[in-house]
Amino acid sequence: MSRFFRQAGDSDSDSSESEDELMSSGEDEAPSKPTTTAAKPAMSRFLRTAGSDSSDSSDSEESESESDGSDKEDLSDESSDEEDRGPIRILSAVDKRLKEMEGTSKAMDNAMKINDWLTTSTEFDKLVRLIQRQHNLSEPVPSHFIKTLINLETTIANTLQKEKEAKKKMNASNAKALTAMKQKIKKSMKEYESDIKKYQQDPETFEREYQASISQAAPQPAAVVRAPIAEGGAPVDDFTTVGRGGKSVQYTPEQIFKHLQAVQEARGKKNTDRVEQIRILETLLEIAVTPYQRIRVLLALISSRFDYNSSVSTHMPVELWLAAQREVDQLVSIVASDPNYSVQEITDDYDESVERSPATEGGVVRIRGSIISFVDRLDDEFTRSLQNIDPHGTEYVDRLKDEKVLYCTICRAQAFYEKTSQGGPLGRVIMRRLEHIYSKPDPVVQALESAAEASDVKSTMTLSKEASTTALVHSLCVHLYKSGDTLLRTRAMLSHIYHHALHNDFYTARDMLLMSHLQESIHSADVATQILYNRTVVQLGLCAFRSGLIKEAQSILQDIFTTQRVKELLAQGVHQQRFQTMTPEQEKAEKQRQLPFHMHINTELLEAAFLVSSMLVEIPLLASIDSEDLKRKTISKPFRRLLDFADRQVFTGPPESTRDHIMQASKALQDGEWEKCRDLIQSIKIWSLMPEAATVKEMLGKRIQEQGLRTYLFTYAPHYSSLSLSLLSRTFSLPLRTVSSIVSKMIWSEELSASLDQSDGVVVFQRIELSRAQQLSQTLSDKLATLVEQNEKALDAKTGGPGGWGERADGGKNEKRNEQAQERRGRGERTRGLRGGLRGRGARFSQGLGNQMLGQAELTAQ
Amino acid sequence: MAEHDLSKTIIPYLDRHLAFPLLAHLAEPPHLFPKEEVIVAQYELAKGTNMFDYAVSLFEQIYAGKEVPKEFDEKRRDAVSRNERLGQEAQAVLDVIENPDVAQALRQDKNQNLAYLKEHYNLTLEQITALYNFGQFQYSYGNYSGAADYLYHFRVLSTDNELNTSAQWGKFASDILTGSWDNALEELNTLKDIIDSRPAGISGPNLPEPALGQLHSRTWLVHWSLFVYFNHPQGRTTLLDTFLAPTYLNTIQTSCPWILRYITAAAVLSRKAAASPTAAGSAPLSPRVRNAIREVTKVIQTEEYQYSDPVTNFLKALYVDFDFEEAQKELGRAVEVVGNDFFLQEYKDEFLDNARYLISEAYCRIHRGVDIANLSERLNLSPEEGEKWIVNLIRETRMGADAKIDLEKNIISISRPPLPVYQSVIEKTRQLAVRTQALGVAIARTGVQPSTQHQQQAAQKDSAKEVGTVGA
Repeated sequence: MSRFFRQAGDSDSDSSESEDELMSSGEDEAPSKPTTTAAKPAMSRFLRTAGSDSSDSSDSEESESESDGSDKEDLSDESSDEEDRGPIRILSAVDKRLKEMEGTSKAMDNAMKINDWLTTSTEFDKLVRLIQRQHNLSEPVPSHFIKTLINLETTIANTLQKEKEAKKKMNASNAKALTAMKQKIKKSMKEYESDIKKYQQDPETFEREYQASISQAAPQPAAVVRAPIAEGGAPVDDFTTVGRGGKSVQYTPEQIFKHLQAVQEARGKKNTDRVEQIRILETLLEIAVTPYQRIRVLLALISSRFDYNSSVSTHMPVELWLAAQREVDQLVSIVASDPNYSVQEITDDYDESVERSPATEGGVVRIRGSIISFVDRLDDEFTRSLQNIDPHGTEYVDRLKDEKVLYCTICRAQAFYEKTSQGGPLGRVIMRRLEHIYSKPDPVVQALESAAEASDVKSTMTLSKEASTTALVHSLCVHLYKSGDTLLRTRAMLSHIYHHALHNDFYTARDMLLMSHLQESIHSADVATQILYNRTVVQLGLCAFRSGLIKEAQSILQDIFTTQRVKELLAQGVHQQRFQTMTPEQEKAEKQRQLPFHMHINTELLEAAFLVSSMLVEIPLLASIDSEDLKRKTISKPFRRLLDFADRQVFTGPPESTRDHIMQASKALQDGEWEKCRDLIQSIKIWSLMPEAATVKEMLGKRIQEQGLRTYLFTYAPHYSSLSLSLLSRTFSLPLRTVSSIVSKMIWSEELSASLDQSDGVVVFQRIELSRAQQLSQTLSDKLATLVEQNEKALDAKTGGPGGWGERADGGKNEKRNEQAQERRGRGERTRGLRGGLRGRGARFSQGLGNQMLGQAELTAQ
Repeated sequence: MAEHDLSKTIIPYLDRHLAFPLLAHLAEPPHLFPKEEVIVAQYELAKGTNMFDYAVSLFEQIYAGKEVPKEFDEKRRDAVSRNERLGQEAQAVLDVIENPDVAQALRQDKNQNLAYLKEHYNLTLEQITALYNFGQFQYSYGNYSGAADYLYHFRVLSTDNELNTSAQWGKFASDILTGSWDNALEELNTLKDIIDSRPAGISGPNLPEPALGQLHSRTWLVHWSLFVYFNHPQGRTTLLDTFLAPTYLNTIQTSCPWILRYITAAAVLSRKAAASPTAAGSAPLSPRVRNAIREVTKVIQTEEYQYSDPVTNFLKALYVDFDFEEAQKELGRAVEVVGNDFFLQEYKDEFLDNARYLISEAYCRIHRGVDIANLSERLNLSPEEGEKWIVNLIRETRMGADAKIDLEKNIISISRPPLPVYQSVIEKTRQLAVRTQALGVAIARTGVQPSTQHQQQAAQKDSAKEVGTVGA
């Protein structure tokens, strides 16, 4: 089918693509339009133009200037198509229009010959539209259009004449079209009056003039970057150099900026071939000579590497990432080695197509771009790839090895920013660096640092200078504390605490956490920071556990375990909610938050630590209370629940899981069989994951002995009137001194109604049996006391705000709830020991996160 | 014992002049440090002040036979002339102020006073500042009472906050050095108020600096106030009251944990006062003081990783580990430390006495039959002394009727009948009526919404009724 006829249809936009195809492939064109009488001149013109070089032009401008909607779509299709094809395609748009016009005129001629005015009319409309467009682009009106106009006019006049004379009338629609045509022609004639007059006077001159105006435009494109009309510009031989594959020949250092611009403009468009773009940029980088060119190309290249990632794939391909990493390194090296060039996010406007050097700029050449965002992106992509690679495969380990180079890059960037003293980016890059080392054991940090040490651009803070990782982390953190950014400060603080906790420096970590007052504001922080906070708190709990501070460990870990969403709160897995399903967006957001596997805190170990410390706290407590309603007072709900469940079991097999071990150990402890308890606890396999497992086990053994003694005393005191201390000491393998110390403590704190008889070396128990009425009255008085206390609290809440009662009342006086009051309260918490303080705030926190989750759910529901 | 000496830790937090007594104490026997070094330190300290005669005498002590450096003479001349000049300036102001007419005309409002003085006597703020300068100068050469005087007058008149605070510190130091403890205590309290109220007035809420400044001020105040607290008759209880307040406790925990020694000592020393609140006949003690020992023990435990010395270890051994042998050992060491401490030396015997009480009280509460010989040994006493001591103990403490000495077996038998249920119920409900009344008062004062009030009253009635029935 002839393309001209097809064009006559309405669906020109979809056909145009295939036409492009045809046209671009040069000679194939000829057989495709055998029917047209006017094919010859068009062909020759086409061939000529196809050979011309206008590869550097970009069509985006053209498409912007287009006013006609349908054409616009057409063109944008074209332009994106062109990007695939490379330079050749660029010239066809202009050429095509001319082609089309000519074709239309021919079709009209044909139609007129057979007296088909309907077709003539539509073809004419189209022609006018094309001409209009030509006009908009301020291109000269083609001579053949004028010719056609004159032609038309005479034909119409003739036809009308004939029509009057003829007996046989035309059919109605044709006649109508004829009349319409007449009107249109009249209008058009008026519009192009001057041109027509010129033509009528001397057709040859007009033709010549037109040709001249076109060929004049040809040399223009080289200068103005964009080639409006590319006919006859370059010699035909150029065609071979432009062909696919052989392109590199034509890239010269002078043209770099043109290419860069072309690439940049194509960026982000639909159907852009990203691979091609990257290839272009790579070649450009090879030929770039001056530092300015190299910086510019690198900036574009790195961005397009990051662009490459499609939205479907989860993370950047590793090779690309590595390439990008190398290029960022290169960029930093260039900028760091030559202080005359600087890459900044905000610069004055400058002409992007002109080479600049320190000489032309009078000092420093500022280039728009952001190294920090590259580093950020690099780091993020690294994390994302780790999130998505199966952590149990070798691929993960291989990928993890790349952290070294990434860390180097970050250090180099830090060095660069230190050198140029840019505070904002420096803070960010230091934070990145800190995030890579804060949670890692010393050997890993040493490995990372040794790699960073080897690079040519060094930051002021290195491991060798700071002597220890703790000192390194400290100096990084101190820098961030001094920077103004609150978010960075918070995160630095948390990382610092985490690091201390990891190194078993419990007191420092605890004091820092309490003094930071983060627990008061953390629920308003962003999710990532909350996760970091959770991790820090958990690590602190583990640290307390390792240091043998069982009570502290229990109360710290309690918060996170009561929520029963440990994995979710630590961002180590998605929690399955039973009653609400997550929307895909939520799920995706949740997934992105997950930490890569190597950063995980082992939840099983965590649970073991929590349950064991709960056991050590809870079992003696359980033994000490005898009345039923007191039993409801629990310290550790999760533990109590498990214990109750284990109690209900009729048959218990040998322990398999960690929980089984701990539950059976708890029961053994309750029965006073501390040795069995100890063996069970020590045989838990997960301890091997804990550093210094042996010492921890030993410590646990000791604690079990002590708590076993306490439990034993509580449980069996009613059955004895006296007990010999030496027997106790033998039974629990504790030194006599420890036994008497423990017993004394219990007597002193009135947990045990007994007294020691020094001369006989026995504990003498005193037991009072309470009658029912007595018991009740005691309960009643207790309740009364609580009632008054509640009233006091209620009043306090009404009058004094959240000042608290009793000791904190003097804090409440200061009714302005300013920083100081908060500080005082926070510190007050500290004096009351870690226990109460941490628990309260932990509860608040987890609630905070819960709220946030709810909020998100609501949002998505809307 | 030198390792437990705190002078070195404390001196950086003291004024130059306040450090002299400490050094003088170190120069006395027993010599924890070589005497010469102490004198050299004193000399170095004195060099920076205007107390040239003192410095010269110290110089002669160190470098006997050497010529005294010339600079002292020059400086002295300088100082004398300056003294005169400043004295004259200050005198002019003083003349006006001491005029009885003026004294009568002066009011509370400082601005008004200034206007008045300016109008009638042509006295400007600059001239008043002369008082400050002269006071400061006098302080620098050791005339503390004079300094205190001038600074007092200055403070009455001046409106400059900064200088006023500075004058306050100066006056405080002067009062300490002249030994007028009542005045010093007063100054201490005003200063404390100033520090506490400061950040609310000046700072923005998010700047860390004011908080830091406050911490520094408090740290200094804590150190300076030691002079007052261990010299004023009521000092120990006041110390407990102040230092155990959350703000100061935090200051101590964060910046100067060694103060724990003084808190511990004060807690031990005020044991008697704490044990018998009515006997003292003085103002009722705050719960903080009454539970001082318990509180202090807790703090010692939490701060153990930061600071410990024999004094704190003693309390820890006694109340955390209940290890009486250890406690006894630590007590021996603690007494020595207390005897060598500048602030505590006066209280050595009292400390020992009270500490023994604490030990025996705890011991008797836990044990049923106590061997007198054994107990005496625990207390570092001979058996006879021990017996006397124990008799006194039984008489004084509440153990009264429960403890009997069996001379034949040489034991004390303590029968401690368990608290009857009735008693415990009464104990529990005793406070309730008072507390509810306090609630009522609080409501009346604040004028809460009627609904809550109603509820409160109902609750009050309820509990009152309950108390009634139980009591009956």
